[in-house]
Amino acid sequence: MNPIEEALAGGVGLGTAILFPALGELISERAGVVNLGTEGAMLGGALGSVVVTIETGNVWLGLLVGIICGAAASAIHGWLTIRRKADQLASGLVLWFLVLGMTSTFGADYNNQPVNAMTKVAIPGLSKIPWVGPILFDHEILVYVGYVAVAAIWYVFYRTRAGLALRATGERPDVVATTGGRPQLVQFLAVTIGGAFAGLGGAFFANVVASSWTENLTHGYGFVAVAVVLFAAWRPLWVLGGSFLFGIALNLPYVLQAHQVQLNQALLDALPYLVTLLALAALARRGGADAPEELGKALNRSSA
Amino acid sequence: MTMTTEAAPAPVPATVEPPAEKQTWREWFDRLRLTNYGLLLVAAFVGSLVLFAIIAAVKGANPFDVLNSMANTITNTHSLQQDLILTVPIGLAAMAVAIPARAGLVNVGGEGQIIVGMVAAAGVGLHISDGVPGAVDWILMGLAGAVGGAVWAGISGLLRTLLGANEAVTTLLMNFLAADVLLYLILSPWRASSAGQNESPPLPAHAVLPKIPGTDMHWGVVVAGVAVVLAWWLLQKTSWGFALRVVGGNGEAARRSGLKVKVLLLSSMLVGGAFAGLGGALHFAGVEAQLRPDTTATYGYIAFLASFLGRGKPVLVVISAFIFSAITLSGPNLESDIGGLPKTIVNVLLALVVAAPLVVAKYRRKSS
Repeated sequence: MNPIEEALAGGVGLGTAILFPALGELISERAGVVNLGTEGAMLGGALGSVVVTIETGNVWLGLLVGIICGAAASAIHGWLTIRRKADQLASGLVLWFLVLGMTSTFGADYNNQPVNAMTKVAIPGLSKIPWVGPILFDHEILVYVGYVAVAAIWYVFYRTRAGLALRATGERPDVVATTGGRPQLVQFLAVTIGGAFAGLGGAFFANVVASSWTENLTHGYGFVAVAVVLFAAWRPLWVLGGSFLFGIALNLPYVLQAHQVQLNQALLDALPYLVTLLALAALARRGGADAPEELGKALNRSSA
Repeated sequence: MTMTTEAAPAPVPATVEPPAEKQTWREWFDRLRLTNYGLLLVAAFVGSLVLFAIIAAVKGANPFDVLNSMANTITNTHSLQQDLILTVPIGLAAMAVAIPARAGLVNVGGEGQIIVGMVAAAGVGLHISDGVPGAVDWILMGLAGAVGGAVWAGISGLLRTLLGANEAVTTLLMNFLAADVLLYLILSPWRASSAGQNESPPLPAHAVLPKIPGTDMHWGVVVAGVAVVLAWWLLQKTSWGFALRVVGGNGEAARRSGLKVKVLLLSSMLVGGAFAGLGGALHFAGVEAQLRPDTTATYGYIAFLASFLGRGKPVLVVISAFIFSAITLSGPNLESDIGGLPKTIVNVLLALVVAAPLVVAKYRRKSS
């Protein structure tokens, strides 16, 4: 692999750790609920998967438990915001603090214990395509799961009744209710399923990217995922692109370091946030129009 | 045919109780809300403490030892003073949430605004004001911090008012940028030449805020107290504060009545950010005196929760910030007093305390 391929391939790997929570946040926000607790759901998924993987030696069982932990964490957010009408942003931060504290407490015994990293599986044929192959088709299986998830979510959103119900709930829950739908149930399911994706993302981060658990492992990736969804203006394919763009930017310092390029690491770290900020600023007018109406109420308190 | 009034059945008094046997516990509970929300809230807070103790017990700690250790954070004057010192950055950053919130803006960027306040104060204290007498230095550092915080929040304010970018998300992103600015500075330009670790040189002794005589607290605590009164006055007693409330209530109505809505929104972010930046500067000049990678340790996010718990009302917000400071400081005590508990376990209690009013919110009267 040449250095550029290496940088992009690494970016796809790291980007998958953002893609899963971003897809989860996308589902949740399409139903009209913003979940800053995605960061917490990731932490829960990461620790849950690491503990089970270490104790049972079965990484797939670990992933399953990670998914369940993420879903359970976000279900708390769903309960607080939908049933208790709690402020969505505050409730999300509450969830983050809750899981941050819980995972640092119960994860202390597992700090820095190596987990069996998943091995890479090159897809026969596809991985031989010049450029595209090594960048997209020579990864851990979960990365491919990410591709499939994007396609599946696109299909569900735009080609199924369930997707229609979800999107309608995010726009006008009152209309959904008067036509016999159950907007609260749809929202709760969306937040919980979104949490499952975040949990998977955390599990991926722990098992593939970091190969171990440490306190506050995901250090802000969940928040990045929230930003990516906004950046993508709530479209699944754009979420994929945004996540990989972020992944590439976050991966760049490591690639440069490996090639003995000396650069101030903080400048590179800042790059993805700067890009997102600029993109948000540039797309703000249009993005605001694309936003699910109900979500706008949660995010934009000021009517001015 | 006319009906006589005597023929009508005796009117049932409007306040009659429904038959007791038909009441479910839930109805009884609903009835309770009209009078006893305060009681429920206290019960919810106690419940969150109990739940926290149970979680610690699951981890193998004696819950009474845990509560006892935590109580030490508020039962003696030394720790109360430490609580107040930490209330400086958390309380002022909470004002940075509460002030824009009056105008309906969501500032999740307290963390970044504190960091930039610290960085600005460090820039002045370490690199500009060499040889200036202490008092001038302190004022310059405080001003630099306030300006820094205002600029940082103002960027999100401008993005919101000029371009319509959502301020909740941009302030969140600005937190990460601020952390990177801090990291950049201590990785190279401001790195202490002798240090093995990534940190700035310490603030010269004369530039460190002195202690209030007879206490362990630096003078920044007093400055912060004055700042909080100022915030209260701005919000409750000035026409600016009133205009913010009008904008927050109904932006369209505010515009039609001639208020400069965009100027008001931007100014709320600038003023709010200045408070957080001042908090960062005071904490730097009074406590930290050195830039390190994780100096702020999520104070900005705790401030957001404190402002939420205090419902954006300055007095309640400061009380919340004080309680959260005490909870945060109880972490290191727990870690050293009780084996096997990390100091970050107190984040669980922070979350539970904020969640408590959410759980009982249904029983709160709309009017209060």
